[in-house]
Amino acid sequence: MTVPDLGIRPDAVKRPDDPLGPKLFRAAIFVAILVPAIWSATGLQIDWPSLNPFRWVTDWEITLQWSWPYLILVAIVGLTVYWLSKRLTWSAAAAAAVLVMPWLNIWNEDFFFFDIWNIVHRLAPPDLSAEAVQRALPKVMESIFIAWVGTMIGAFFSFPLAFLAAKNMTPPWVNTGIRQVLNAIRAVPELLVAMLLIPITGLGAWTGTMALGLHSIGTLGKLSSEVVEGIDGGPVEAVGAVGGGQVARIRFAVIPQVLPTIVAYWLYRFEINIRASAVLGVVGAGGIGAELVAQLKFRDFARAGTVLFLTVGAVLIVDTISARLRRRIISGEPEPSPLTNFLGRTWWQRGLALLGIGIVAGIVVFLLRQLQVDLSIL
Amino acid sequence: MIEFQNADVTYPGGFKALSNVSLTIEQGELVVIVGLSGAGKSTLLRAINGFVPITAGSVRVNGTEVRGAHEATLRELRSGIGMIFQTFNLVHRTTVLNNVLMGRLAKVPRWRSMLGLWPAADKEIAIQSLERVEIVEKTYIRASNLSGGQQQRVGIARALAQQPQVLLADEPVASLDPVTSHTVMRDLRRINRDLGITTIINLHFLDLARSYGKRLIGLRDGELVYDGDIADVDDETFRGIYGRALTPDDLKEGAEL
Ligand SMILES: Nc1ncnc2c1ncn2[C@@H]1O[C@H](COP(=O)(O)OP(=O)(O)OP(=O)(O)O)[C@@H](O)[C@H]1O
Ligand SMILES: [Mg+2]
Repeated sequence: MTVPDLGIRPDAVKRPDDPLGPKLFRAAIFVAILVPAIWSATGLQIDWPSLNPFRWVTDWEITLQWSWPYLILVAIVGLTVYWLSKRLTWSAAAAAAVLVMPWLNIWNEDFFFFDIWNIVHRLAPPDLSAEAVQRALPKVMESIFIAWVGTMIGAFFSFPLAFLAAKNMTPPWVNTGIRQVLNAIRAVPELLVAMLLIPITGLGAWTGTMALGLHSIGTLGKLSSEVVEGIDGGPVEAVGAVGGGQVARIRFAVIPQVLPTIVAYWLYRFEINIRASAVLGVVGAGGIGAELVAQLKFRDFARAGTVLFLTVGAVLIVDTISARLRRRIISGEPEPSPLTNFLGRTWWQRGLALLGIGIVAGIVVFLLRQLQVDLSIL
Repeated sequence: MIEFQNADVTYPGGFKALSNVSLTIEQGELVVIVGLSGAGKSTLLRAINGFVPITAGSVRVNGTEVRGAHEATLRELRSGIGMIFQTFNLVHRTTVLNNVLMGRLAKVPRWRSMLGLWPAADKEIAIQSLERVEIVEKTYIRASNLSGGQQQRVGIARALAQQPQVLLADEPVASLDPVTSHTVMRDLRRINRDLGITTIINLHFLDLARSYGKRLIGLRDGELVYDGDIADVDDETFRGIYGRALTPDDLKEGAEL
C-alpha cells in the first residue's frame, strides 16, 4: 500500500545558534543569590553608610510646593486604573478626579477619616533634606538586605525539605513528619521568632535575618512541596526509560518542571519579607523599623515622613522588579519593557502618547495657575 | 533479538494482562502490534524494558533476561532501548535540546550530566538526532512552544540520542491528526530502515499498520492471536483480533487526506 509523500519539510535546515540571553539571565540570578550569601556568611558586618551611593551629596534643598503624599496618591490611582483598564484616557480621568477632589472641599474636618488624614498631613511634606535622607537610607537598604538574605536562607533549606515533604517523592512516614515540622515553623510569626532570637543572637540585623529565614523555611517548604506534588509524571517515566535512576529522575524530570515556579515563590516570599523586615526593627532586630519608632517618639513627624517615604519608595521599586522577574521566570520569555506597556509598541505610538500626556499636564498646570489653587494648603 | 517465551503478566490486583505469549523479533525488524483497548499492547511493550515485570515465562533482549533482573542491569538495558510515548512525555519548561540530551544521560559521567556540563560529542549526537527528525531549527526553543507533532518528533529524537538497538513506540500517533500521524510514522519507518533499529509500534488501527508495517502481531485479551504478514490479514484474522468482521471503513487508510 502506498504512503502519501507529504513533502512539506525542507531537507537541510541550518542549525540555530545557541542564544546568549537565557544564559546571562541564569548567570545573573546565580550571582544575585550567591553574593549576599557569601556576604551574610561574614555575619552581616556591612558598613551601610559607606555603601550609600549618595553619601557624597551632603547638601540639597527640596522645597515642596505641593503635598507629596497627595500627588503620590494621584499617581497611584492613575497607574492602578491604567493597569486594570489598559486605557490611558480612563486612567487620566481617574487621576484628574482625585486631583480635583480637594477643591471640591470634601476633605475637610467633616470627612470621615479626618483623624487618619490629620496624621498623614503631619507626615507631609517629609523632610527630604540631605541629612535626613542620609540618615534613613542606609537603614532602608539594611532592611532590604535582611529580607533578601533571610529569603535565601529560607530558600536554601526549604528546597531539599520540599522534596522530602512531597507525597509523591517519599514514603508516607517521611513526608508526613517533615510536613508537620514545616507547619509548626510556619505557625510562629516572624516578629515572635525575632523576639525569641534576641537573647541568643543579640540586637541587630543578624537576628532579623535569622527570624525571616526560619519563618521562610516553613512557608517556602510547604509551597514548594505542593509544587513538587503537582508534577506531570510523564517525564519522570521518560527518564526511567532512558536508564536513569531515582537521582536522575529528580534532576532531569522533577527539578526542571518545578524550579521556575519555586524560584518565583522565592521572589514572592522576598516581597513579603521586605514588608516584614521593615517592622522587625521595632523590636530591635535591625533595619528601618527602629528609626521610625525613634522619630515618632521624638514627635519629629517630618523625619518619620522621611522614613515612610523612603520605605514605601524602596518597597514599590523592589516589588516591581521582583514581580517582573517572576513573570519572566514562569513564562521563560523576556517581557516587553514597561515603557512598551505604558506608551505603546512603535515609536509613533510612543510619541503620540507622550504628546498626549504633555498636553494633559499642560492643561492641568494652566488650570492650577488660573484658579490660583495652592495645593500646599492641604 | 527479543524473545518472549510463555510470558505471563499478572498485575498486583490479580488481573492477567498477558498470558502465555511466545514470540521472537529479529534485530532490525519493524513490528506493529494491534488490538483493542485493554488487549495488553502496552503491557507487552513495557515487559520488554522491564517497566512491567513478567510473572511467568521469560523475556530476553539481546540475550539478557529481563525477568528478575537487578536494578543496575535493568538500567543498563533501558539505556539501549528507546521509548516513545503517546503523550510525548517531554519536560515542557526546558529547551528541546535539554530534552534530547536526556537520552545521553546513561552514557555520560554522572557529575557532568548532573551539572548540565554535557560533552561536545554528546551535544553533537543530540543535534544530529534532531536533524534526523527534521526539527533542528527548534533546538533552543522551549518544548512547551511546540505543536503536538513537533513534540513527538522531539520524543523520537530523545530516543535516537540513546543510540538504541530497540525502539518501543506506544501509540505514538494516537494524539496527533491524520497528516501529522503519517509524518511521524514515516519518520519511524525511515529510522528503522536507515539505522537498522528494531522498532516495535503499538497502534490502535489497522490502516496505519497496513501502510507502514510488514509484520503484524494481534493481541486479544492478553493472548497472541495473530503473528504474520500484514498482507495476509483477512476477515478471519480481523475477527480474531477485534471480535467483529472487517468493514470497508477499516481499510480506507487515511482516505480523507
Ligand atoms: N498497573 C496496572 N494494574 C492493574 N491492571 C492494569 C495495570 N495496567 C494495565 N492494567 C490492565 O491490563 C490490561 C491491559 O492493559 P494495557 O495497558 O496493556 O492495554 P492496551 O492494549 O495498551 O490498551 P490501550 O489501547 O487502551 O492503551 C487492561 O485491562 C488494564 O486495565
Ligand atoms: Mg496502551
